[in-house]
Amino acid sequence: MKKIGLTTTVPIEVLLAAGYTPIDLNNIFVVSKDYGKYIEKAERDGFPKSMCAWIKGIYGACIENGIEEVLGVTEGDCSNTKTLLEIFKKNNIKIHSFGYPHSHSLDDIKNELDKLMKYMGVSYEEVESQRDRLNLIREKAKYIDALTLEGKATGFENHILQLCFSDFDGDVERYSNFLDEKIEEINKRPIDKKGLKLGYLGIPPMQGDLHDYVEVLDGRFIYNEVQREFAFPRAMESKDIYEQYYNYTYTYDIDFRLEDIKKQIKERKLDAVIHYTQAFCHRAVEDIILKQELNIPILTIEGDKSNVLDARTKLRIEAFLDMLKDKKQRDYAKNRLEIINE
Amino acid sequence: MNDITCKTKITPKKIVGIDLGSREVKIIVTEEKKIVLRKKISTVSFYRDYCQYQNKIIVDLKKLGIEDVDLAVSTGYGRNNTDLSMFKPINEIKAHVYGALAQSGKKDFILLDIGGQDVKIVKIEKGLATDLDLNDKCAASCGRYLENMANVLEVPLDSLSNYSKDPVKLNSTCAVFSESELIGKIAEGIPLDRLAAGINYSMYSRLRPLLTKFRGNTLVVSGGVAKNRSIVEYLKSDYTEVEVLEDPQFNGAIGCCYYGEKFI
Ligand code: SF4
Repeated sequence: MKKIGLTTTVPIEVLLAAGYTPIDLNNIFVVSKDYGKYIEKAERDGFPKSMCAWIKGIYGACIENGIEEVLGVTEGDCSNTKTLLEIFKKNNIKIHSFGYPHSHSLDDIKNELDKLMKYMGVSYEEVESQRDRLNLIREKAKYIDALTLEGKATGFENHILQLCFSDFDGDVERYSNFLDEKIEEINKRPIDKKGLKLGYLGIPPMQGDLHDYVEVLDGRFIYNEVQREFAFPRAMESKDIYEQYYNYTYTYDIDFRLEDIKKQIKERKLDAVIHYTQAFCHRAVEDIILKQELNIPILTIEGDKSNVLDARTKLRIEAFLDMLKDKKQRDYAKNRLEIINE
Repeated sequence: MNDITCKTKITPKKIVGIDLGSREVKIIVTEEKKIVLRKKISTVSFYRDYCQYQNKIIVDLKKLGIEDVDLAVSTGYGRNNTDLSMFKPINEIKAHVYGALAQSGKKDFILLDIGGQDVKIVKIEKGLATDLDLNDKCAASCGRYLENMANVLEVPLDSLSNYSKDPVKLNSTCAVFSESELIGKIAEGIPLDRLAAGINYSMYSRLRPLLTKFRGNTLVVSGGVAKNRSIVEYLKSDYTEVEVLEDPQFNGAIGCCYYGEKFI
């Protein structure tokens, strides 16, 4: 089967129906031992220093791994992808594009999907049958998410297992089986409820040690916003492929995204959220809105090229969580005192 | 635990907070949330005259004139220093943030604490520390610098802080080289007020690069250098509001008491 590189989560059902093996370039970049080399490769080829490391990593990973075809998202995700596709073209890579329409109207989304289906030469029925197959697996992600809330799966597992839904780790059946094994293993664990309930907002981090670092400090991410979206938790309730991609939050306007974030914060009773931004990424500006709109403590951290947390970021997380613990303890004591006084 | 002890534990009556600075130890005692004692002792004398060592450092509170405290909280420069027997040690940044929350009544601001030997900048949002930077490796932007320069000029530190107009330019970025540069300017016959202003301005301009990472509208200043009127004047050009805490030097110790009051 022919490999096709992806720049972010796309309607994978269409690609599978067309007989492709989708590969999320982000994932091969970030988990690679060579992640630094991929960035370097991009910089040597002329990518500016002042450009986000993800774009450079995707570029390096694509070229170095000999990927010959790429589907890039040119609307709703990264403003740099358009140019990236042009560079790919110059490198004799076959390119396709897909857009999550800014209008966020169902008609426009349908239009985009129909265009993609036609282009890939697949029928609506074929796509829907792929959707049915994937939705069963997507239910497993929901289950893992529930296991995280319960205190069995770690924040990192929640992050990585959902993250891989963008390309089902390159092999749908294998990934599905892997999830079964994982679920069985996680289910056997005792419940471990850490003190602080945290949420993670924003694109997945460059640093692979963040999730474990908060656990050292008695915190746990029990909500990973974008990673959860990659796994499409509402797919089963969506009546067709169009609605499923309409309900996807992160590529549309921030208000739509916020609706679900607010709901999750409330339902999961989070104590605070950490918002991740990427150096040189336009999305960092969204931090202003998140801080205005969310009535919960927010710590914003930034990543650049390194795949581990730097000392200053660690110190910031430590100070924030330390004070948060005090606050939580006080709120708890206050409540208790009120109960006693009643 | 019965109800009564639970209540007294939550709102203790008398709390002592100690901030073990690198050069001075600051002590605050609060009773019913009011400060009833402020005390400052040189760090050397504190350890020598008021402490004993038995596995841990034991503070002789009686000798300090403090009795019947319900709670004791300490903080200080470097973690080991804060480990006093019977005291609950808390992180230094946290102590200063709590001090500033208690004193300013604000919840969103940037705290600039300039002590004798270090500078701390903390961003506080919704009452929690969200960003920080520490500069404890260079003497040119902390209190020690001003003291040394005042000594060279042979003026008291307090009067040095009055001069802000027409500062003479001191280019050196290093505290040690600045001294000889200043002597050179004295030799050139530059008047005292311009020299003094030059010292204040040079200190401010070294703080600036640290502060540019912490943009915001409100700056709260604590630590000994908060008493320098000219530096505060200069800072006013960068922020909409600059508030100097009433007890800038005792901020860490006040934070300890606040912590004891609210969280233990
Ligand atoms: S982090 Fe931002 S700039 Fe970088 S690839 Fe993602 S959206 Fe684009």
